[in-house]
Amino acid sequence: MLDLNTKKIKKNAYRITKVRGETASRIRIPGGLLTADLLPKIQEIAETYGNGRIHLTTRQGFEIPGIRYEDMDAVNTLLQPIIDQLEINQVIPGKGYTASGTRNVSACIGSNTCPFANYNTTDFAKKMEKEIFPNDLHFKVAFTGCANDCIKTRMHDFGIIGMTEPQYDKDRCVNCQACVKACKQKSVDALSVENYKIVRDAAKCVGCGECVINCPTRAWTRSTKKYYRLVIMGRTGKRNPRLAEDYLVWTDEAAIIKIVKNTYKFVKEYIDTTAPGGKEHIGYIIDRVGFKEFEKWALDGVEFDEKTIVKGPVYWSGPHYD
Amino acid sequence: MTTTNPYTPFLSEIKAVIKHTDIEYTFRMTFSGDAKPGQFFEVSLPKFGEAPISISGIGENTVDLTIRRVGKVTAEIFENYVGDSLFLRGPYGNGFSIDNYIDKEIILIAGGTGLSPVKGITDYFSAHPKKTKGFTLIAGFKSPNDVLFKADFEKWKKNLNVILTVDTPIDGYCGKSGMVTEYIPSIPVKNIDDAIGIVVGPPMMMKCTIDELLKKGFKEANIWISQERKMCCGIGKCGHCKIDDTYICLDGPVFNYTKGKFLKD
Amino acid sequence: MGYQINKTKMNTLFTDLLENYTIYAPKRFVGGGTFADTDCIRYGEISTLEEIEFSEKSDYSFKEVLLPISETLFYFTEAVMKESDPPLKEAIVFLRSCDLHSLNRLDTIYLKNGPVDPYYKRLRDHTHFILMGCENTFENCFCVSMGTNQSTNYDAYIKVTAEEVLIDSHWNLLDQALANAQPFTVVPDSVSINNISVEIPESIPQSVFDSTLWDDYTARCIACGRCTFVCPTCTCFTMQDLFYSDNGKAGERRRVWASCQVDGYTDVAGGHAFRENKGQRMRFKVMHKISDYKKRFDNQMCTGCGRCDDICPEYISFSNCINKVNALVKEENR
Repeated sequence: MLDLNTKKIKKNAYRITKVRGETASRIRIPGGLLTADLLPKIQEIAETYGNGRIHLTTRQGFEIPGIRYEDMDAVNTLLQPIIDQLEINQVIPGKGYTASGTRNVSACIGSNTCPFANYNTTDFAKKMEKEIFPNDLHFKVAFTGCANDCIKTRMHDFGIIGMTEPQYDKDRCVNCQACVKACKQKSVDALSVENYKIVRDAAKCVGCGECVINCPTRAWTRSTKKYYRLVIMGRTGKRNPRLAEDYLVWTDEAAIIKIVKNTYKFVKEYIDTTAPGGKEHIGYIIDRVGFKEFEKWALDGVEFDEKTIVKGPVYWSGPHYD
Repeated sequence: MTTTNPYTPFLSEIKAVIKHTDIEYTFRMTFSGDAKPGQFFEVSLPKFGEAPISISGIGENTVDLTIRRVGKVTAEIFENYVGDSLFLRGPYGNGFSIDNYIDKEIILIAGGTGLSPVKGITDYFSAHPKKTKGFTLIAGFKSPNDVLFKADFEKWKKNLNVILTVDTPIDGYCGKSGMVTEYIPSIPVKNIDDAIGIVVGPPMMMKCTIDELLKKGFKEANIWISQERKMCCGIGKCGHCKIDDTYICLDGPVFNYTKGKFLKD
Repeated sequence: MGYQINKTKMNTLFTDLLENYTIYAPKRFVGGGTFADTDCIRYGEISTLEEIEFSEKSDYSFKEVLLPISETLFYFTEAVMKESDPPLKEAIVFLRSCDLHSLNRLDTIYLKNGPVDPYYKRLRDHTHFILMGCENTFENCFCVSMGTNQSTNYDAYIKVTAEEVLIDSHWNLLDQALANAQPFTVVPDSVSINNISVEIPESIPQSVFDSTLWDDYTARCIACGRCTFVCPTCTCFTMQDLFYSDNGKAGERRRVWASCQVDGYTDVAGGHAFRENKGQRMRFKVMHKISDYKKRFDNQMCTGCGRCDDICPEYISFSNCINKVNALVKEENR
C-alpha cells in the first residue's frame, strides 16, 4: 500500500500524475544543450522504470512518464550521472533534483549555432541556473540570442534578449547600403545615409546586429561588451496572461543576475503563504504590492552600465479574466 | 605629386548658355585643346560630383556641352551655373573620326540626348556639304517639348536631309511622329555597300535601329555607334564602363559595329 | 641573402623599421567577425611579430593598403581645391604568394590601363613586400592552377619557426640591418597541390554568355558584393563628393570601393541600369576574371586565392563556376 508525501515528491521533480501509482520524472537541461552521450542514460531510465516513452517539455527538459513511485530511489540513482555531467546544483547527492519550483532555465540555440544570436545563450543560462537553482519558488527564466525571441522570453518572469551595440568604421564603409536595407526590412529602420555614410539612430536601434551581419566590408562590427534587454513578468495562465515588458535596455550580465536573485528575496518577503500549495506567482505578487516596492528590492546593490536605460515603472497589459 | 594628376580638373569659362528645354541646356565652354565629336568631358563640381558629358559642338576655342538635368550634379549645374565657370577634365574617349565618313552617303540616327555626341558630325557636313554624297539625319525625341538644338535644325534643313520625329505628338505639333526606325526604309541610298550608318541613343533604340540598317543592306563595318555607360573616372580605373575586354572610356565610346556588336554588358 | 635570427631580434628590427615605415600584416581582430564571438582576419598595422596571423588565410586581402576602401582625393574649401597628402611613412606589407601576384593585377589597372593613377603610384612606389610562405593549402585555394603558388619578386621572405625567424632578403636595408646575423639558406615555403583545381578554357565562345548556366546564380546570389570586396584583384571604385554637414562651404572628393555585384554599379544618370540580373552580374565577374582581362593584358586576372569562395554567405563557388564554364566550352567544342 502506497503512503506518499506528495509535496516532497513534487519538490523532488516528480509529478503526481492522473494514473494511480505512476509518477513522471523531470530532467533539467539548463540552456537546452546536452551532449549526446546523456541520451542513452535517459533512454535507460525510460526503458527500465518508465513506459518506454519520453516527453520533450516546453522548457527544454525531458519528462519520463510511467514510473512507479516505488522506483523513485532507483531512478534518482540513474539520474545522478546526468545531474553531475550537467553540473546541476544538488543539496543531497544521489537523491535526484532537490527542488522543482524554479524551472529549467531555457535558452534558444544561441551563438553556438545561430548567425543572429548576439551571445552564447547556453552559457548564460547555465550560469543563471547555477545562481538560482535549487529553489522552491516558482521562477521562469529564459534566454534568447536576439530580438527575434525564438525561445519566447516574453512569456517568462525574466526574459533576457541579446543585444550588440553596432560599431561603425566609416573608413571601411562603401555605401552599399546593405545595412540600411536589412535594418529597414528585417528590423526597425534605424539607419539612414548622410554624405554617403551611415547614421544610426541610437534611440531607435534595438541592437539586433543585422547591420553587422549584412555588412560586406566589416565597417559594422559588434561591441566588445555584450548587452541585453531584460524583459520581466510575462506569464501564461488563467487570470491575466500577458507578455513581459521591457525593464532594462542595454544592461549587462551582472545586473541581470543580481536582479533575479534579489527578486527571490522580494518573493520570500511578500508571498502569500496561504495560497494553495504555498504557490503565488511573482507577477501577481508585484501586481499586489506594487511595482515600486518590487523595484526597491530588485535593484538593491545593482550597478548599471553607463548605457543602461531603465524603463520603470513598468505597466503590463493582457486580458483580465478575473 | 610627381606624376600629373589626371583627376585634377581645370576651370573653364561659360561663354554662353543655350536653353533647349526646361531640363536641357547647352553650355558653351572655353577650351583650346583638340576635341572631337563623341568625346566627353567629366564636368566636375567640387562637393557635388562629376558627370560625363558628350561634346555637342566644337568652336574656335570653345566646346559645347549639352547637359540634361537628371542627377545631383546636373541639377547643381542648372541651379548655380551663374557662377560663370565650371570645372572640367578631359576630353576623354576616342570620338568620331569624320575622315571615315568623307565622300560617303551617310544616315545618322540619333535618339534624344544621343544627338549631342553626333551633332558635331552634322555641323561639319552642314558646313561642308560637298564632302558627303548624301547626308540624312533622323532625330527622334519623346515629345515636341524635348527637341534639342531647334535653331540648328533650321540651319541643317537648308542643305541636309533632316527628319525630325517625336514619339508622342502634342496638340499644335505639325511635324513628323513615330519611331526613327520607321523612316529608315524609305531613305534612298545609291551605293549601299559603301553607305555609312551612325547610331546613337538609348540601348533599345540603338538595337532596333541597327537591325533596320542591316535589313536595308548596310554593311556591319560601315555602321558606327557610341555607347553610354556609367563612368566615374574616365581614365580606365574605376571599372564601371568595362564591357568584355573593353573600357568604354578608353576604347570608346565610339565603336565600329563589327566590334560593338560583341559588347555584351 | 638568407638569415636566421631569433624572435627578439626580429621584433627589435620591427621597432627600428617603425621609425620610417608603417608595417601592415594580416591580423586577427578578435570579435570582429560577422557573427557573435567570431574573429576577422584582415590587414592592420602591426608592431610585433606576434601580431601577424601566419596560421590562417586572411578574410580580406592586402589591397586595402594600396587602395584604401575610402580614399580622399581632394579637399575643397571655398576657392581652393587641394590634393590629399600622401602618408608620411613608407609601408611594408606582409602577404602570401597569391596576393603578391595580385599586386601585378593592381599595377596593370592603376599604372598601365590609361594614364598612371597618381594616388596609387604614390603608395605603390613607397611600399615593400614581405612574402609569407604557405606550408599547406587552405580550404578553397587554387593557386597551383593559376600559377601563383610561387613568387620571387619579394623584398623579403619571412618564416617563423618554433624558435627562430628565417629571412630571405632581396632588400639592401634589411641586409644592412642583418649584417651580423647568421647566414642561412632560406627557400620560401610554397604549396604544390591544392584541394581545388580549375581548368580555364583557352577561349570562351560567345554562346557561353547566353548560357542558362548563369540563371542558377540569379536565384542564389544576394548581390552583397563580398566576393569582390575580398578579392585581391578587384579594383573598382565610385567617386563621392560631399560637403561637410557642419560646414557647407568645405568638402571633399573621395573614391570608395565599388562592386559589379552590388545594385547601382551600372546605373547611369536618368535611371537606366545595364545588368539588373544577378546571374548576369556573376557572368560579368567570372568572364572578367578568366577571359576579358586576359584578352586585354595577356595574363589571367584571378590569382586563385579562393577568398570569394571562403566568404560567400550563399555558398556560391567561383572555382566551381570556372569548371562549369570549362565543361560547357568542352561540350560546345565537341
